[in-house]
Amino acid sequence: MTIETSADTTLASRLALVWEELEERLERVPILQRLEAGDVTIVDYTRLLFNLRQQVVDGTPWISRAASNFDAEHFALRSAAIRHAEEEHRDHLMLERDYVAVGGSLDDLRGGRKNIGSEALSGYMFHYASRPNPIGLLGAMFIIEGLGAKRAAGWAGRFQEVLGLADNQVHFMRYHQEADAQHTGALDAILASDLIDDAAADEIVRCAQVVARLYALQLEELDR
Amino acid sequence: MPAAAYLTGFGRYLPGPPVENDDIARILGGDDPVTDRIRRRVLAANGIRQRHYALGADGRPKELNEELAAKAVTAALDDRGLQANDLRMLACATTMGDVLVPGFASMVHGRLGGGPMQTLSVSGVCTSSLAALDAAAAKIRLGDHPRAAVVGSELASRSLHQSRFDGRREGLDSHFLRWMLSDGAGAVVLEFQPHPSRPSLRLDWVRQVSLADRHPACMTAGLRGGEARPGDTWQDLSVADAEAAGMFVLRQDIGMLGDLAEEGIRQFEELVDTGLVDIGRLDHVLCHYSTNAFRDIALDAIRRRAPRLDEDRWFSNLETCGNTGSASIFIALEEAWRTGRFAVGDTILLAVPESGRFSFAFAQLTVVGPDTRKDV
Repeated sequence: MTIETSADTTLASRLALVWEELEERLERVPILQRLEAGDVTIVDYTRLLFNLRQQVVDGTPWISRAASNFDAEHFALRSAAIRHAEEEHRDHLMLERDYVAVGGSLDDLRGGRKNIGSEALSGYMFHYASRPNPIGLLGAMFIIEGLGAKRAAGWAGRFQEVLGLADNQVHFMRYHQEADAQHTGALDAILASDLIDDAAADEIVRCAQVVARLYALQLEELDR
Repeated sequence: MPAAAYLTGFGRYLPGPPVENDDIARILGGDDPVTDRIRRRVLAANGIRQRHYALGADGRPKELNEELAAKAVTAALDDRGLQANDLRMLACATTMGDVLVPGFASMVHGRLGGGPMQTLSVSGVCTSSLAALDAAAAKIRLGDHPRAAVVGSELASRSLHQSRFDGRREGLDSHFLRWMLSDGAGAVVLEFQPHPSRPSLRLDWVRQVSLADRHPACMTAGLRGGEARPGDTWQDLSVADAEAAGMFVLRQDIGMLGDLAEEGIRQFEELVDTGLVDIGRLDHVLCHYSTNAFRDIALDAIRRRAPRLDEDRWFSNLETCGNTGSASIFIALEEAWRTGRFAVGDTILLAVPESGRFSFAFAQLTVVGPDTRKDV
């Protein structure tokens, strides 16, 4: 990681740099390399869903926890977090339906364990969300929603292309293109508002860096 | 690669030992000289040498139709190396189930077991199994289910036994079917991915069409004089009266069969004209026909379009497995598959004319190899 703080650099450009580094790292993730090369199997897709689910199911709980830790002075952020939690609280069910649609067992999926990366990611999110006014989590959302809006549909399309999957088997990844694009729009507005001072911007960038690394770790450590 | 449905397992169940022509009367009865003469004539025309009946020596059924179906599905699952609880859908075709209510697929599922799944009962005659295949394949292609089983099964012999004919003077319309139909079940396993380690049959398309809008019923039971009238079907009379009226005898209006053959050929021609069938790439034809008399008519029609189609690319096991109605096409497909007739890249046309009230079903399959990508 390079830039930590810089008074004359905008938050948007600092986050763009974090995103760029994440993209470079994703290019080295084995399952994404195989997906790009067209070498994935149905087992790879099933495994990816299985691993994602164990962390996705925690998504709404940490957002809700964050919402509960914003005080009245951060009312706008509290409202945004509550809205976001409400919008996403059924997402894991969509992923579970996809998993069953490709022949997976719902009981196995629900009985699954987080991989090493998911443990770290989820643990960090809950830890951060437990702090008073956890404004840095906007950086976490920047990464996670960004992946949904910019990358997930591409992955879904490539899995469909390589494996001949139907739309009903890739709902979760497809849906996020639209839903997360809306979320990132709302997020961009908050990030550009006067709710974010310099200290908050530093926190947001730092949180984005950590979440970017841990998200990639989750994809690297499938089944481990 | 678009979403597709693959046939990955094949099974059949033919009850009891094969019955030779000379042994039919021992099981179905009807050994008086007149019946004997008609039987020999019908058998000589239909060319069937062996068939199976789910009847004991006393002529009473020893198994249910639902059992034949469940056994064929189990055989197909074994062939694929799966269990019933891997299935999410069961589509069952038959002409007549064992009971009036509930639906046939519910009874087959109850017997098969395997956990919650979608069921579909398709009632009809010979094309009903391809209609069931079409419906199950559509659900697979939509991504609604990863795996389904489709079965066609028939236990026609209970309608063919002498006890249905005692004291009745029946014409050729009933004898034609009596000495042609027999029992059996054929099943396939459908999946959204090809078999992991051996070839599969990709289902390219199914086309089923009814011409009942322009033809009267041709194969009938449960009505009088070939026409359904209010208050005069088998459900409106006492069982004894319905039986006395011959309503429980299966009949074929033989005079219409020439029209049926012509319509079938027209449907095939349309498939070629619209490009669904590419004659240049047609490697195998599995055609269901009720008797060998139609074999040459169908073969000639296809040869007119595909002169290079050798007779050895044409497969039927009518002569050794009999005419098992909706089960026939899967029983033939299972044998063709098991005996290694297909090579990767081959295309297979399934053709099923149904005399019931003029319907026709066709399907095209392509043999595809296993996915060579390896799981990491």
